[in-house]
Amino acid sequence: MTMTAQANPSQTNTPLYRSRQRRNVITMTLAYAATAFGLIWLALILGVLFYEGFSGLSLAVFTEMTPPPGSAGGLLNPIMGSLVMTVIAVAIGTPLGMLAGTYMAEYGRYDKLSSVVRFINDILLSAPSIVIGLFVYEIMVAQMGHFSGWAGAVSLAVIVVPVVVRTTEDMLTLVPDTLREAAASIGLPRSLMIVKVAYRAARAGMITGVLLAVARISGETAPLLFTALNNQFWSTDLNAPVSSLPVVIFQFALSPYKDWQSLAWTGALIITLTVLTLSIIARALASQRKSS
Amino acid sequence: MADVALQSGTISVAEQVDRAKVLQRLRLGDAAFRHLTRAAAITVLIILGGIIVSLVHGSWPALHSFGFSFLFDETWNPVTEKFGAIAPIYGTVVTSLIAMLIAVPVGLFIALFLTELCPMWLRRPIGIAIELLAGIPSIIYGIWGLFVFAPFLQQYVQPFLISAFGNVPVLSNLFAGPPYGIGILTAGLILAIMVLPFITSISRDVFEAVPPVLKEAAYGLGCTTWEVARYVVLPFTRVGVIGGVMLGLGRALGETMAVTFVIGNAHRISGSILAPGTTISATIANEFTEAVGDLYTSSLIALGLILFVITFVVLACARLMLMRLNARLGK
Amino acid sequence: MNSVASFTVPTVTHAQKSAEGLAEKISVQSLDFFYGDNRALKNINVSLYKGHVTAFIGPSGCGKSTLLRILNRMYDLYPNQRASGQVLLDGEDILSPHQDINLLRAKVGMVFQKPTPFPMTIYENIAFGIRLYEKLPKSELDGRVQHALQRAALWNEVKDKLGANGLSLSGGQQQRLCIARTVAVRPEVILFDEPCSALDPISTAKIEELIDELKDDYTIAIVTHNMQQAARVSDFTAFMYLGELIEYGETTKIFTTPNDRRTQDYITGRFG
Repeated sequence: MTMTAQANPSQTNTPLYRSRQRRNVITMTLAYAATAFGLIWLALILGVLFYEGFSGLSLAVFTEMTPPPGSAGGLLNPIMGSLVMTVIAVAIGTPLGMLAGTYMAEYGRYDKLSSVVRFINDILLSAPSIVIGLFVYEIMVAQMGHFSGWAGAVSLAVIVVPVVVRTTEDMLTLVPDTLREAAASIGLPRSLMIVKVAYRAARAGMITGVLLAVARISGETAPLLFTALNNQFWSTDLNAPVSSLPVVIFQFALSPYKDWQSLAWTGALIITLTVLTLSIIARALASQRKSS
Repeated sequence: MADVALQSGTISVAEQVDRAKVLQRLRLGDAAFRHLTRAAAITVLIILGGIIVSLVHGSWPALHSFGFSFLFDETWNPVTEKFGAIAPIYGTVVTSLIAMLIAVPVGLFIALFLTELCPMWLRRPIGIAIELLAGIPSIIYGIWGLFVFAPFLQQYVQPFLISAFGNVPVLSNLFAGPPYGIGILTAGLILAIMVLPFITSISRDVFEAVPPVLKEAAYGLGCTTWEVARYVVLPFTRVGVIGGVMLGLGRALGETMAVTFVIGNAHRISGSILAPGTTISATIANEFTEAVGDLYTSSLIALGLILFVITFVVLACARLMLMRLNARLGK
Repeated sequence: MNSVASFTVPTVTHAQKSAEGLAEKISVQSLDFFYGDNRALKNINVSLYKGHVTAFIGPSGCGKSTLLRILNRMYDLYPNQRASGQVLLDGEDILSPHQDINLLRAKVGMVFQKPTPFPMTIYENIAFGIRLYEKLPKSELDGRVQHALQRAALWNEVKDKLGANGLSLSGGQQQRLCIARTVAVRPEVILFDEPCSALDPISTAKIEELIDELKDDYTIAIVTHNMQQAARVSDFTAFMYLGELIEYGETTKIFTTPNDRRTQDYITGRFG
């Protein structure tokens, strides 16, 4: 208050000053409005999803197979299919991504190969997932002559790789060089220094990366449409088409049957909760690392 | 320290030899591990190469029989096996354009709110909410768009648009036709909602990278918050913001599920954005498994190739710009 | 730069006389070192003697840490860094491409400026290095761990919490843990790179005491900013300036009657 009292009135009352203030108020109001606008849509989406999803949620969803039109059923086979393909995708994609990230952060931090791989990897990270589906269709489905769970898993793995490469490289880069020098100073060969010391120091961050990758693929639909296809029945044969949650949601939501549409909402809720849980765990892990 | 005598501080010659042997053995594993990581890094390049080669290979029959006219032909007729890509390309570009027109300003304003206006205690929760929402799978947006948003548009918004702009020269064409609910506009709006958290979180990160002294200097001159944002933050981060926007654009162009539900899947170019249309990704998602005949499949793969080329260029530009910002920040 | 270059005529005064009868452990001969094109060390000649502590002093950027990091070839971890000349450890040139670097580093241990415990338990921090070279039964390994911690004067403080994370210790304790880790590998030479610069005075005093105890078994080199520390712990002192070794001799001599004007200026605090 004393500040305004002392301020020169001729400066605070000029038209220029007033118009600057006005413009500021207008734009700041816009900023508040934009935030409210954005949050409202997102709240609406989640609100409807939770309402529709929970009203269809029951034990049967987890114990019964997908039903034929017009009858009740569950989502057991797509849930299992998604789980199995996710596990395989992570089992393939994580080691590959970790090793590549390790090369970029540990061995070739300054070399040409690393910067090229970094650039390409960043592009793969945001590449349209449907194109990855086409790619795997070409190299697997078209060659083998049939859709299969393996093809689905591989296309998800292709999505996992860049996520893991990126986080592994980032996290290993954060490991201080002094720790590497300390490991070297007791005569540790480079590979052991990386595996036993650097990985351990970056562990939380690398786990975060894998969790984020799982979150990313658990809702992926496009790459599965023409690799794993769909299967209305229980199938553990990965050489045959395998059902998955996102593809079933896609198919059921676009159907005219009420039961199927309701199951689609419930499936959407399951996926969303999975993704949110994974992201929250990943976030907690990452912040724990920062505070320690 | 009674046992010092037992355990001398240094080691004997025999032990030295043992040690050398151990290390000799480890050296082989060391080299193997190094080559393994290098091979993995190269695999990333192979994946990209594989995508390009397989798409070119798969689309060869279509490109061969239609040539360049594939890019400009509107026909999409599985019966006569005549295919052209211009309608899906048009749909892809227009939906993404609508999405960016809305999401960029809104996203930037939210980022501005988060970095300059928001009270400290609210920053983290909103920031986290936005990042979590950026991670929600696109199929959720799609199903919501189909069941909630499209009917809402059909019932309330589109009739209003049609009657309001019915007599305005250019706009009457843009908003012509019956309110279907689904269509280009709906898809664009869903895409906008979907890329919004994405653009917000990148711009916020970029804004936060502005050195505080710069902003403090401007505030010290008596600048208003808007003036600081407009004349300090934005110019300083321009490259990064453009990079972030292009990343968002890359997402929007390639997005499949959020669009497929609400686009209407009509292979034609209509002057009205209320009309159903299609995008590259929606066409592939809807038709690929049902496509009979090599030429049909090949045409769909050719669409995929076009999409990949477009997004590759956009994403590459985005990355180059973000790299330039980082270089400027000395990272 | 030109005025400095004119000094390259060796003004090094070797402490030949006082070194007589001492066993030479490491001998550095006409050593040059480059960061890319930048010549960071110029024609260094110096010897480290068995059972003695040699201190390297000089203003920041004089190359003393660089020299230390050549003695275990730590610089090998980074691209574009290279050394030329000879560094003889027991008569063998460690700069030779045939040198097994890991074997060298097991012989020449190092303690760093900042404590660098590995992200694992206190016990594992020590046992890790031992296990690398020897398969020992649990009881013997326990003994070795205990011995190393005792030598680093840390045993009494940590014996009840060997399973705790090494990072949970205080800064001074972490530094002694790092010394224990180095000792556990049973090196012949231990390099200390400003080991106390991140520590409080009491922890510093403990580390200095420790260095004094360790020198009976090991050849020790220490880089320090702190001239009093060099005077307290070392037997020999080398003064470096702008990548050159200006003067080297018995610590008492260097600190009382230095031969070179620059040494005197530095020691009396006129620059640096």
